[in-house]
Amino acid sequence: MAPGTIRPRARRWTGVGVAAVALALASGAAAAQKVAPINVVINQSPWFGGFSKVVEAYEKETGNKVNLDVNPFAGSAEKQRSSVRAREGQVDLLVMNSTWLAEFYHGGFLVPLNDIDPGFKLDPQVINYDDTAYWDPKTKTNNSRTGVVYGVPINGNIAVLYYRADLYEQAGLKAPTTWEELLANARKLHNPPNVYGIVVRGARSASDISYDWMPYLHSHNGAIFKDEKNGDFTVTLNSPEGKKALDVYLELAKTAGPPNPGSYGQAQVIQALVTGKAAHATPVIAAWSQMDDATKSAVVGKMNVVVLPHGPGGQPAPTLGHFIGAIPKNIPRERQVAALAFLKWFQTYDAQLKYAQAGQPPIRKDVYAADFGKKPEFRWMKAMVDSAPYPRMMYTVPEGAQIVAVLELRLNQAVIGERTSTDALNTAAAEIYEIMRKAGYKTGRLPDLK
Amino acid sequence: MPGLARGGLAGDTARWRHYTLAPAVAVYLALTALPIANLLVMSVHDIRWEQGVAQWAFAGAKHFAELPRDQLFRDGLANTALFAVCAVSAELVLGFLLALFTSRVVRGRLFYRTAFLLPILIPGIVIGAIWKLAYNPDFGVINQLLGLAGLPGKDWLGEKTLAFASIVVVDIWHWTPFVFLLLLAGLESLPQDVYEAAKIDGASAWQELRYVTAPMMIPTIAVTAVFRLIVSFKVFDEVYLLTGGGPGTATEVVSFTIYRRFFTEDRIGYGSAISVVVLFLLTLVIVLALAALRRRRDAA
Repeated sequence: MAPGTIRPRARRWTGVGVAAVALALASGAAAAQKVAPINVVINQSPWFGGFSKVVEAYEKETGNKVNLDVNPFAGSAEKQRSSVRAREGQVDLLVMNSTWLAEFYHGGFLVPLNDIDPGFKLDPQVINYDDTAYWDPKTKTNNSRTGVVYGVPINGNIAVLYYRADLYEQAGLKAPTTWEELLANARKLHNPPNVYGIVVRGARSASDISYDWMPYLHSHNGAIFKDEKNGDFTVTLNSPEGKKALDVYLELAKTAGPPNPGSYGQAQVIQALVTGKAAHATPVIAAWSQMDDATKSAVVGKMNVVVLPHGPGGQPAPTLGHFIGAIPKNIPRERQVAALAFLKWFQTYDAQLKYAQAGQPPIRKDVYAADFGKKPEFRWMKAMVDSAPYPRMMYTVPEGAQIVAVLELRLNQAVIGERTSTDALNTAAAEIYEIMRKAGYKTGRLPDLK
Repeated sequence: MPGLARGGLAGDTARWRHYTLAPAVAVYLALTALPIANLLVMSVHDIRWEQGVAQWAFAGAKHFAELPRDQLFRDGLANTALFAVCAVSAELVLGFLLALFTSRVVRGRLFYRTAFLLPILIPGIVIGAIWKLAYNPDFGVINQLLGLAGLPGKDWLGEKTLAFASIVVVDIWHWTPFVFLLLLAGLESLPQDVYEAAKIDGASAWQELRYVTAPMMIPTIAVTAVFRLIVSFKVFDEVYLLTGGGPGTATEVVSFTIYRRFFTEDRIGYGSAISVVVLFLLTLVIVLALAALRRRRDAA
């Protein structure tokens, strides 16, 4: 073989070798990122559009597949429940609302994220939603000091006060900080049937009126239980503070609202806002993306949001309506790893920036501080920052769904005039007491309100 | 021996019949009897989940004792009974009139038959969307039509007094075609010679309807009524999609109560107890209706 012919061949083989090594390395790197497809059960919330955009970005960036199984709110909980109770679950990532978190934590269905990856931790910039991403199985509490991380917040949904900034400007009003101020403003702007002063979410469903009224209760220094965090489940719903909270809610609904406030669920409230029929409402921040969407809204650029008002001597108390992403115990290891890969990516700054730009509340503090938040279309972010110190969980016990069912019926009956506020609160308190007594909690109840 | 041979053959035939029935019995047990047995067992237990494992605790008749105090159950049962009576009565009257009309039409019978059947072909979820939009107090077609006539609009699903009637109307719209179909089949199978005899006797159209058609149609009407009563007792989708049982408990029906207790609140034992009671009541309705039919047939 002539030397002249050897050298090119050697170079060619060397080149092939280098390419092969590079390919192997590249494919190795890709394999490190490539994980199994995951199934996510999620509900068709106002924030779903933003979440699905972020999922698309994840798939594009990583090549991993995420199957979104979209359901109505209650249907999502049922599907997740069925999956975690099966021998092997179908759902890899549970997107759990704060109202059914307790059931899943207490039921022992979830895997601590450090069992999948010992090095995993929540990014310090991720907002702490009343410790709900942590669970202490010994004390059965959400506690970031004694518990371990079980989930990553998926959506920082809380209620805020939506108001018509254009009508406020015309009437020379300023954003209310108390419920009484809101009542005065709502009455001033009440011009039925064109514009209602306020549209409350007074319908009875899986969670409408109870979620809507809870900030009134808490911000009047009332509560369902005496000291839930320390295990005292004495029912205090029918306290004088509770009655004040319900009376102001009823006054708003009846004197500045539509004719049948007891039939408005979340969808109807949002519809009233985007069609310009509501001067005020208190839905979750996730509804914001529809306000400035010209294809859905008649009030583009006319709405604004602020932190919820409070009662006398209280502070704002938006109820947490957020979602936690958690991984069930009963799925194969490779799918747990894949679900965690998504959660790790989801909590990054870049992912949350995309989420915020899609009009949804990010779960990271630093995204709220980003420059783009100063643009007019992101004016909702200030309300979220202002609300950050105040959110409260509605309840932390697995009997929560039963408690909510009681509240939904009795509060709705008060709104539609079937019961007085006193009767509604006394009846609800008695029924909640029975639920807690039967479930074996340390409980009691206040004497009936007169 | 011939006798023994016959007995042996008869025994073989009987055994063979049992063997051939066995698959059907097995399917029945697997799909019907076992779930009902499971429901009965669950209804006397409290079921909680700890560490991902179901914990069953015997509760005896506790859940059944709780039922009379449950306002949703009480109102749901009362509303369901009222709903069944109102909806089925209206459907029978309308369905019979439509069937009578269609059976007498000579030209375009196929068109009418198809047109009258359309609502039953629409999926429940679409029916919910159609009527939710139609009933919308702000931009629904019903209020718009009222507006054209100079009448004030109503909140059809939001007012306590109207919501229940509005749900009944949806059910009538949805199920009248089914009643129409059964009654039309009944009408078309009536013997024609009786009508010819009535005509010869000079019977008017009303007399023909009153003394010929109606009596002969009673068995068909009765079977249709029983079937519709059973189905209407299970009403769920209209309520779920349109009112969620509200305002208050104005449109609460027992199937929706079961759904709430069993699924939303995750009270498996208690939800099963309600289901057992409803199952018992439905069985009672069927038994009484069949007994009445049999008595009538025997009397005839």
